[in-house]
Amino acid sequence: MTTTTTTPTTTSTGSTRTPKKRTRSPIAPYVFVAPAVVLYIAFLLVPMLYSIYLSFRGMRLVSGGAFGKRKSVFIGFENYISALTDPEFIAGFGRLAIYGAIAIPLTLGLALLFALLLDLGATRAKRFSRTSIFIPYAVPGVVATLMWGFMYLPLTSPFSYITRELGWGTIPFLEDPWIFGSVANIAIWGGVGFNMIIIYTSLRGIPSELYDAARIDGANEWQIAMRVKVPLVTPALVLTGLFAVIGTLQVYGEPTTLRPMTSAISQTWVPLMTIYRDAFVRDDLPRAAASSVFLAVITVVLSVILLRLTQKRAFGGES
Amino acid sequence: MRSRAFAATSALIAVGALLVGCSGGSESGSDDDASSGPVTLEYWAWGTAQAPMVEAWNEAHPDIQVKHTDAGGGSDSSAKLLTATRADNAPDVSVVEYQTLPAMIVGDVAADITEYVDDDLKSQFTDATWGLTTFNDAIYGVPQDVGPMAFIYNQARLDELGVPVPTTWAEFKTASAAVRAADPTTYLATFNTTEFGFFAGMAQQAGGEWWSVDGETWTVGIDDEASMEVADYWQDLIDNDLVKVEDLLTPQWNQEVNAGQVLSWPSALWAPGVIYGVAEGMAGQWAMAPLPQWTPGDSKVAYQGGSAVVVTTSSKHPKEAAEFAAWINSSDEGADIQLETGQYPASTLGQTKAETSDPPLLMPQQTDFWQLASEIAGNTIPNISWGPNVNVAQSAFQDAMAKAVKDGTPLSEALTATQEVVVEDMKTTGFDVSE
Repeated sequence: MTTTTTTPTTTSTGSTRTPKKRTRSPIAPYVFVAPAVVLYIAFLLVPMLYSIYLSFRGMRLVSGGAFGKRKSVFIGFENYISALTDPEFIAGFGRLAIYGAIAIPLTLGLALLFALLLDLGATRAKRFSRTSIFIPYAVPGVVATLMWGFMYLPLTSPFSYITRELGWGTIPFLEDPWIFGSVANIAIWGGVGFNMIIIYTSLRGIPSELYDAARIDGANEWQIAMRVKVPLVTPALVLTGLFAVIGTLQVYGEPTTLRPMTSAISQTWVPLMTIYRDAFVRDDLPRAAASSVFLAVITVVLSVILLRLTQKRAFGGES
Repeated sequence: MRSRAFAATSALIAVGALLVGCSGGSESGSDDDASSGPVTLEYWAWGTAQAPMVEAWNEAHPDIQVKHTDAGGGSDSSAKLLTATRADNAPDVSVVEYQTLPAMIVGDVAADITEYVDDDLKSQFTDATWGLTTFNDAIYGVPQDVGPMAFIYNQARLDELGVPVPTTWAEFKTASAAVRAADPTTYLATFNTTEFGFFAGMAQQAGGEWWSVDGETWTVGIDDEASMEVADYWQDLIDNDLVKVEDLLTPQWNQEVNAGQVLSWPSALWAPGVIYGVAEGMAGQWAMAPLPQWTPGDSKVAYQGGSAVVVTTSSKHPKEAAEFAAWINSSDEGADIQLETGQYPASTLGQTKAETSDPPLLMPQQTDFWQLASEIAGNTIPNISWGPNVNVAQSAFQDAMAKAVKDGTPLSEALTATQEVVVEDMKTTGFDVSE
């Protein structure tokens, strides 16, 4: 992404209009982009290529014997085959889909709802409401998960306490299938504020003439919201949707932190947890690298599909 | 023009500094030469006993100075050791759990220190303990602490409910039922799907052998007959609601222990410290007894937990490192510090010393705690061997057990599943495995 934005800049500064007066050193532009390029290569390109290299290697016994030494050797696509034929790894994507189906629409829906409510002229205590909706985003994920974990565990849960007092028994927050909702709830709680701010900022950028025009045409607030505001903030919705999809593929912190509290979450509950287990529990870094490459490819593919599907609708008017 | 030149120059300098900064990092890891001055050893270990032990060593050995780093507990530090060894910047000496030691050997982390070990050191340990660090006649570490399995229980509550302390697993079942009958909110114990070490220990007590090596060939017996019996035993308890399936040391479990709703924890000699940590108010109510047996009158138990000190293959001073490993685990000073900080020493010297020390804080009333402990430690099963991929087995076991409990499928099937994963992993790596 960095390269695509820098390329047009460099061509426009190497201005073709005044070629004769060109006295500047041809090195300067390169020097200016050098820090970005060096950082990009050192911290993005090299690790990425290294991961791909790693994914084709495996720890194998090179000297025989019961206590022979494991060394890294080239094993071709073996890691990819074993990762993609591992039913647990694939099932992890299925669980992600359930989680995403709950978390994404709710996060975006609530964020849009709150943003629209805040944008209403009549809303009171705007700054207070905005801050209080945003605050959960500032709570670190692990802290939030521990806090919710306590609220889910039967003995410490205030919700289960109430239902028990009412004679309805304990709510099985940490058991299948409730666990999906419980994990998604933590993400929704933390994510709504951030997404709301993005959508709200975009709403503030809509010129008020449009509202005036709509009002003159006899539109009420509901119609203004649905016919004017929502279509105009679609780019922001697409952006937050993209973040949400990528965020879903990268779910790791919440289930990992909840895991000691429930047997409903296995070590391979979501793909990133499987990758972590392979790398640091099973000491199989190459297989983890292969799974990571696969996950990255899925992320790119999904992002492209999402952008393609929504591009026409979201940005169609601009071009 | 001048400002542009200035900007270009400063950008160049910045890039240069960045590059220098990058290359500088890799050189700082190099050790000092063996010839110059006192030798410095890097030591990775966790737990409260380590810092004072290192301090005592440094005072007594000015020529060999040891620097202690806490690189995290058992599984964290072993994962780091494997990666650090590949990057060639592993410490000289490290603490490793017995069960991960074989993985450290095949991962080329632990060095063979047979040549630095004399019979004098060997005589400080029982054969069962020494066997934990010896593989195919090569010595890979010096035992530090051991965790012979034991039964700790809420004595006050069991007395109140009129339930006797079980001495066999059959009695354990009867006692579980008696507790359930006397107080339906209470369980004698919980079964937890994550306790790989406990389950392995119980299977070993029943005669199971999860890994064994004969020459060049490994045999994996995670689903052997004895282990399947253990699985069926717990299955029966779970099916009849005699034990509760619940993870250990969760806020929920801790609260139940504090409320006297979970009355025992079959585990090991280190358990009193753990319970005291989460249920200080229970001090004086809990007590320790030998672990229940499969056959009445038997007294054999396995180890659950415990660790050894290994010298790494990356060390440039293996002789000095081995000397340090031997000293902290067999000297008078080392044993005293271990006891003060609550470790149960692996050396016979330390275990003898333990007999005269105070009982753990959780059970101050049990004055014969350490005599009993030493009796238990004297009856540990010799020749327990762990495999080169215990990490794989542990994670497979935990997931398979959790799944079995969740889906209501037999625990024995979970053992079979674990066995399959372990054997497949060993075969892929290239080990010779017979099932």
